[in-house]
Amino acid sequence: MANPPEGLRPKDREKDKKKHPRAPLPPDGGMAGSSSASTSGQGGGPSKFEVVSRAIMSPFHRRNDSNKILSELAPVIMTPRMMNAAATVSSRPQERLRNETSTNSRAVDFATLGRAPLRTLGSRRITSRDLQIVEATEELLDADVPEPEGVASNVSLLRGFNATIPSAEKGRSRRRQIRNVDVGEKLGLKQLGMSARGLMVDEEEEERQLEREREHEAQSVASEDDVVVVGGRGKKGKGKKKGRESLSAGKMFGKEELTRQTSEILLDKENLHVKRALIENEIAEITHKIETLDKIRAKLENDLLKLQEDELELDDELEGVKEQLAAERANTVGHHHKTATPLLHIVPSSRRRKGPAFLPSEHDDLPPGVAFMTLEGHITPITALDFSEPYGTLVTASQEDSQPRVWDLLTGEEIGRLRGHHGSVKCIQVEDQICLTGGEDGNVRIWDLRKVDDEDDWEGEGEVVNLSDVAEEGDEGEGEMVERPNGVGGKSIRSGTAGSATEKSGPCVRLLEGHTKAVSTLYFEDDCLVTGASDKTLRQWDLSTGQCVMTMDILWAISHPTSPGSSTLPGYFPGAAAAAGSFAVPTPPYADGSWEMYQDFVGAVQFWGYALVSGSGDGAVRMWDMRTGQTHRTLAGHTGPVTCLQFDEMHVMSGSLDKTIRIWDLRSGGIFETLKYDHAVTSLQFDTRKVVAATGENGIKIYNRTTMQNSTLLTNGHTRPVEKLRYMDRFMVSGGRDATVKVWAL
Amino acid sequence: MTTELPYAADAEVSLSYDELEVLRSQYEREVAAGHVTVQTKFNYSWGLVKSPIRDDQVEGVRLLQEIYRSEPTRRRECLYYLALGHYKMGNYEDARKFNALLMDKEPTNMQALSLGTLIDKKVAREGYIGMALAGGAAAVGAILLATVIRRASRK
Repeated sequence: MANPPEGLRPKDREKDKKKHPRAPLPPDGGMAGSSSASTSGQGGGPSKFEVVSRAIMSPFHRRNDSNKILSELAPVIMTPRMMNAAATVSSRPQERLRNETSTNSRAVDFATLGRAPLRTLGSRRITSRDLQIVEATEELLDADVPEPEGVASNVSLLRGFNATIPSAEKGRSRRRQIRNVDVGEKLGLKQLGMSARGLMVDEEEEERQLEREREHEAQSVASEDDVVVVGGRGKKGKGKKKGRESLSAGKMFGKEELTRQTSEILLDKENLHVKRALIENEIAEITHKIETLDKIRAKLENDLLKLQEDELELDDELEGVKEQLAAERANTVGHHHKTATPLLHIVPSSRRRKGPAFLPSEHDDLPPGVAFMTLEGHITPITALDFSEPYGTLVTASQEDSQPRVWDLLTGEEIGRLRGHHGSVKCIQVEDQICLTGGEDGNVRIWDLRKVDDEDDWEGEGEVVNLSDVAEEGDEGEGEMVERPNGVGGKSIRSGTAGSATEKSGPCVRLLEGHTKAVSTLYFEDDCLVTGASDKTLRQWDLSTGQCVMTMDILWAISHPTSPGSSTLPGYFPGAAAAAGSFAVPTPPYADGSWEMYQDFVGAVQFWGYALVSGSGDGAVRMWDMRTGQTHRTLAGHTGPVTCLQFDEMHVMSGSLDKTIRIWDLRSGGIFETLKYDHAVTSLQFDTRKVVAATGENGIKIYNRTTMQNSTLLTNGHTRPVEKLRYMDRFMVSGGRDATVKVWAL
Repeated sequence: MTTELPYAADAEVSLSYDELEVLRSQYEREVAAGHVTVQTKFNYSWGLVKSPIRDDQVEGVRLLQEIYRSEPTRRRECLYYLALGHYKMGNYEDARKFNALLMDKEPTNMQALSLGTLIDKKVAREGYIGMALAGGAAAVGAILLATVIRRASRK
């Protein structure tokens, strides 16, 4: 069979079979046999097929022809394959391009007119690369051509080319060859000469000198054969003339050759110079590129850090949402089993882990770093503040004011006051509806914030999560006091305190008395409270019973250092250590020049589990074990009283009047990082990403822990130094010496 | 020293195969290493432009274009080499453009001047050939036309 189109072949076979139904099957049987095999029996078979196939083929031939004609007439209907073929064969696009460009200059018109037919007639192949080059012309011509500078103005490309191409080495290799040929001839004598060097004939001396100079000039790496041992002269007085000759230098070149060599060497030197310039330029270029790349890398790393931050933020958010979910689930459960619901039960959560539970949706739209709310009402500098959650309840206290104020952060209005303390209030902690305050009178008071002044109003504004609890208060309010062992395990202890509160009038639920001097700091979680006071003691309280469980004496700890080898702790703040009298240190002046007497011996406390950390007036950060009441480690480093601290799983951060925040590594006990400020640090809070601090200036300092960058919040901020601050998520409240409280979006 | 340029005749002298091979291997080695110095690139491209093989010339011009793009300080020089490369390839139009731009910057550049006249000559020569061809074609056409007309008129 000839070559019918592929598609037709099976058909033909079918036909073939039909035509010869009785044809004997080949031994292997079936269709596998070729058509020729099956038809071999019939004499006229093949010729018949030729005829048939030709008949079939002919229309195809014809169709091909017509196709060609069509494609020529209308390129639009050309098949892609044809188009490709046409594109590679014809130079049409190029031609067109050239004609277009040539119209620009009249002088060339003539030539291009003539050239076009020549191109098409000529057999020169135009490749896509040609086209690429031609197309790039316009773009390149448009590019700016600056004056050459740097190496480009000193070493031309051609100069570099001539200096670096292989033929540049020709001269040297030629000279070497000339010398070596000589040596090669007298190789045997060379050994002789080496042992018999020294005797010189005058002319030889001259030549040798010249040669040596040249060698030196050319800085050529002398081959072994070229070595001229200078020191060898006169070693052996009775050298032979032959020996000298065997050294390459001994050969006579003639004046012409030598002058030629000299000029060649000079040229080589010049080439060397050029090469050096080129390489130096490349090095400079690469240095520059590396710098650029370094910059890019730094930027990318920064981006990466930002992503990490975002991730952390999302993690936090997720945690918060999960917590809320758990809380809501617990609530619904509680709703179904009313009897089990404690009065004031709130799912306990660390203040560090607070999720964005009540974040009004607009909060995220607020510009970050701007104070969007100002609470005015106090007339003296703020001394303490805390709030329950973003847009929840805020309690603030100021100097010489015995009545902390309670604010609704949603509306920014004052709800009422906490009346009871005598003397100013120095520390406040709010957890949901519970507020603890410690005052100059040495007392700690527990408040139920829902009972502040107008109770009904307050409940109307109450939080969603607690609505069910609130509703149940009436019937379930008289919950029994639950006795719990000292510790942090209890979860519903507050029901006891609150339960007893309902019997009293007024928001103050309980009064804890025991400290003999001003309570300067307090920290509670669940039903465990630790307070620090100017009587230089720490007290641990059980909130469910209101009893003081343990008293830890800092003076005793100072005189009985527990850390081995730390008996003489350096860097202790000298003025306060072990002073039995009352503690008073003037603060370093604030940014506005004012100062006051700092009298809080215990600046800050925080605990987790049985681990308690305190920062005190002697500049030490102490770690206590609440089971034994002993210090087990003292972190010394601050040179002024510690005013604030916080710790997490990894670090303790402490702020001090010595104008620094120190970040301590919990494992090693060493200083991980020190942040220096211009003024005394009065308040700080941190999370994994940032440290927010009040540092005696109007602006609030934020130190980004991932990017190690500092920023300051000033927009719409305080007009006098910031004293206290507290934030949750992106919501921050700060109190300043200008007696105002600002609410920020972070 | 920017006037230190080769004359067009220099471009006609090709390097030996070995020399070009050395330049090529050097270039390719640097490509593989990830950093190609300008000089190496130029050496190779100039070697290619000098080559009598058209494909080499094209590649050479392409490399020159790359240098032109990436090294602004070398552009002035590259203008000339690009002109020369295009001239060798037979793209007289582009050669003229590059040369004209160079002449614009350095009106007294001897090499550029001489290249300019060379280009003009070549273009004129090709123009004459082209014209001759076109003329011949026209004559043939005319004769054919005449015969056709004559045949038609004879009928």
